[in-house]
Amino acid sequence: MIEVSALIKRYGDFTAVRDLSFTVQPGEVLGLVGPNGAGKTSTLRSLAGIIPATAGTIQIGGVNLATDPVAAKRQLAFFPDEPRLFDYLTVRQHLNFVARIYGVANHEAIAQPLLEELEIAEKADQLPGELSRGMKQKLAIACGLLHSPRVMFFDEPLTGLDPLGIRRMKDSILRRARDGAAIVLSSHLLHLLEEVCSHVLILKKGEKIAHGTVAEISAQFAQGETGVSLEEIFIRATGGTEN
Amino acid sequence: MLGALLYLRLTSLKNLLLSRLRRLKQPKYLVGAIVGAAYFYFVFFRSIGGSTGPHFAPPRGLPVAALPSFDLPAVLGVFGASAILVILLFTWALPAEKPGLAFTEAEVAFLFPAPISRRKLIHFRLLGAQLRILISAVFFTFFSRGANFLGGGVLTHVLGWWLILTTLNLHFTGAALTITKLIDRGVSAWRRRFVLLGAVTLVVIVSAVSLWRNAPPFPAGNFGPGTFATWLAQVIDAGLLHWLLIPGKIIVAPFLAPDFVAFLRAAAPAVTLLVAHYLWVARQEVSFEEASMAYAEKRAARTARLRSGGAIGSAPAKARREPFRLRSRGRPELAFLWKNLLGTRPYFHWRVWTGAALVITVGVPWIVRHDPSGAFAAVISGFAAIFAAYALMLGPQLARQDLRSDLPNSDILKTYPLAGWQVLLGETLTPIVILTGLLWLALLAAALALGPRAATIAWLTPGFRVTAGLCIAATVPVLCALQLIIPNAAALLFPAWFQATRQRGGGIDVMGQRLIFVFGQLLVILLALCPAVIGAGLVIFASQWLIGASAAVILATFLALVVLSAEVWCGLWWLGERFEKLDLATELRP
Repeated sequence: MIEVSALIKRYGDFTAVRDLSFTVQPGEVLGLVGPNGAGKTSTLRSLAGIIPATAGTIQIGGVNLATDPVAAKRQLAFFPDEPRLFDYLTVRQHLNFVARIYGVANHEAIAQPLLEELEIAEKADQLPGELSRGMKQKLAIACGLLHSPRVMFFDEPLTGLDPLGIRRMKDSILRRARDGAAIVLSSHLLHLLEEVCSHVLILKKGEKIAHGTVAEISAQFAQGETGVSLEEIFIRATGGTEN
Repeated sequence: MLGALLYLRLTSLKNLLLSRLRRLKQPKYLVGAIVGAAYFYFVFFRSIGGSTGPHFAPPRGLPVAALPSFDLPAVLGVFGASAILVILLFTWALPAEKPGLAFTEAEVAFLFPAPISRRKLIHFRLLGAQLRILISAVFFTFFSRGANFLGGGVLTHVLGWWLILTTLNLHFTGAALTITKLIDRGVSAWRRRFVLLGAVTLVVIVSAVSLWRNAPPFPAGNFGPGTFATWLAQVIDAGLLHWLLIPGKIIVAPFLAPDFVAFLRAAAPAVTLLVAHYLWVARQEVSFEEASMAYAEKRAARTARLRSGGAIGSAPAKARREPFRLRSRGRPELAFLWKNLLGTRPYFHWRVWTGAALVITVGVPWIVRHDPSGAFAAVISGFAAIFAAYALMLGPQLARQDLRSDLPNSDILKTYPLAGWQVLLGETLTPIVILTGLLWLALLAAALALGPRAATIAWLTPGFRVTAGLCIAATVPVLCALQLIIPNAAALLFPAWFQATRQRGGGIDVMGQRLIFVFGQLLVILLALCPAVIGAGLVIFASQWLIGASAAVILATFLALVVLSAEVWCGLWWLGERFEKLDLATELRP
């Protein structure tokens, strides 16, 4: 579903992502972790087609993102850490707008259950300025899910959510994965990775340090010890520093 | 403690100035600073180097003889004092809630929990306002010194403005604290307004009686503006109002002083009034914290709206009725038109346009028919032409419901399954529609106003007039599109520049950048128009003898539309490519 091969992202002389390759199959949730400045956001933004990769290929559902970005983007959704909404569109109008952009026929039938699932149905006629941070996040999620994407990218998905919102977000990610979506998420919250991700990819200074299932990564860095926490594994993998 | 607050102010100021100076290392700010400085020098500084004595050179268009016949400083004193009185009336009447004092969110976070007395916080607030007042005094002097008939020198004008602004600022602070105290004591806003309304009514009645008994005679014969202004000042400055205007006259008197000696004489009562205001403010013991926090939050929200594309002073968005029904299927570009129309003013709606067109269609011919002299027709057509020129030239800078407003959302826009040019086209549709509507209305008004006069010219046949009008109307949307591509191109090609110019108070360098954008737009549009205008001119010149004037104009318009559309299409395509490659986060990295 997501195939990344030899991805490189440079900003001038600075290389943010180096020779990164991995795949995410339908039903898998890949957690992208690493210290600050590891290249997580650059990787996610490149995968979502927001910024062009300097080199390498990205295939979304078999479509090359560089050569046919429109067809590739039709299959994906990107959820930024900070909900970016239009100040003057109500919740419902946001969904109308997104439906037209993605050509979602009869979108009301999809939108209403989505709003109810995310518990913002009663806010449907309110503007973002009248919503709490968590509600805005839910609206951004609803907009992303409206066209039933098969590939999803979450950048720090739990930022700003209350405990209940965090639980629902985790459940939602797992449900979408069970329904066959390929999901990549970046987060500093290691417990999220333990609970949600089937696979983990650890980045440091733009390079892949480790990639595999959570069990494989644990085995790789546990050095024979048992009961080692993911936090300890992360520290061992990254050397405990950003550099 | 005040030392620490003073340190905060001075250090912040020093760091602000240093950061402004440091950023001049970047060519974009250095060039902006040079252009801004040149603008200031040629527009303001050159007019300042005059003498300090009173000299009654007339303002442009006013005859010399009109001025010595009346006491200009006295008249201006009355008008200035009246303006101050009105401002103060609103200051006391408007606040519905506790007004609070103007602190930033950071100041609230750091200073309110700190062991600082309320009195010191008030002093901090007054001290903070001084920087803004000093800058404003210098800036206003640039303008007031241009009107050199006022007399006085640069120093008297700067000090005069400072006295006016500082006294007003003290009054605003004192009023805010007093209103807060009144509300705390249970005096509602309506009760306060009722008392003020009663006082205003009393003043009006007493003044009216006084005028009825002893009204100054209205000037007879052909009188000039000076005579009329003197009469108006006499009317205002009578009865009870005369006494109410005295404080205002005292405040503005130093500014209006014709020389330094007169300034010193006028400054003594003005400074006394200022000190009295200071004592009034400094001795107040009011709980202003809660209201000030609310004020700081409102101000932060306003700033956030401005940075995210809202207009200066724009109110929080309100949910609006949709401009048209957006179907799920169809051209996605129309979704941007729908979305951006929702972000405009409610009167940009097809019903309002239709109503305006109807009013013009019925009203203008009626006016023209009842005005045999043709004066109203000339006024209407002249106004329509000026309005159209402004809308075409300045409209793209004002109608910004396009990518310029959505640039902060570019990450989301780029995840949409659309080519870059589609996003650009969709985003520019709203200002194109708005400007086209305005220009068509202006064109309609001008055509209807000039109709009867044009009918007297033999070669301007009705058929030709209709053809020419429709041809001009047909080019309007493409011209608007061309005009709008340029500022959107600037936003995409120089996002860091563009983002800098959206912020207020950016300094002389940012003002210079804005000037560069405006002149750049003019230059590019002139270059872009050249091929179409030259081609259309040649077609008319070559073909009108063969196919007639109307057909030649249609042919020329068609050619111009093809050329302009090609330019617009190339521009959209190229900018779309640029948009696809844009990484705003990288571009804005300092």
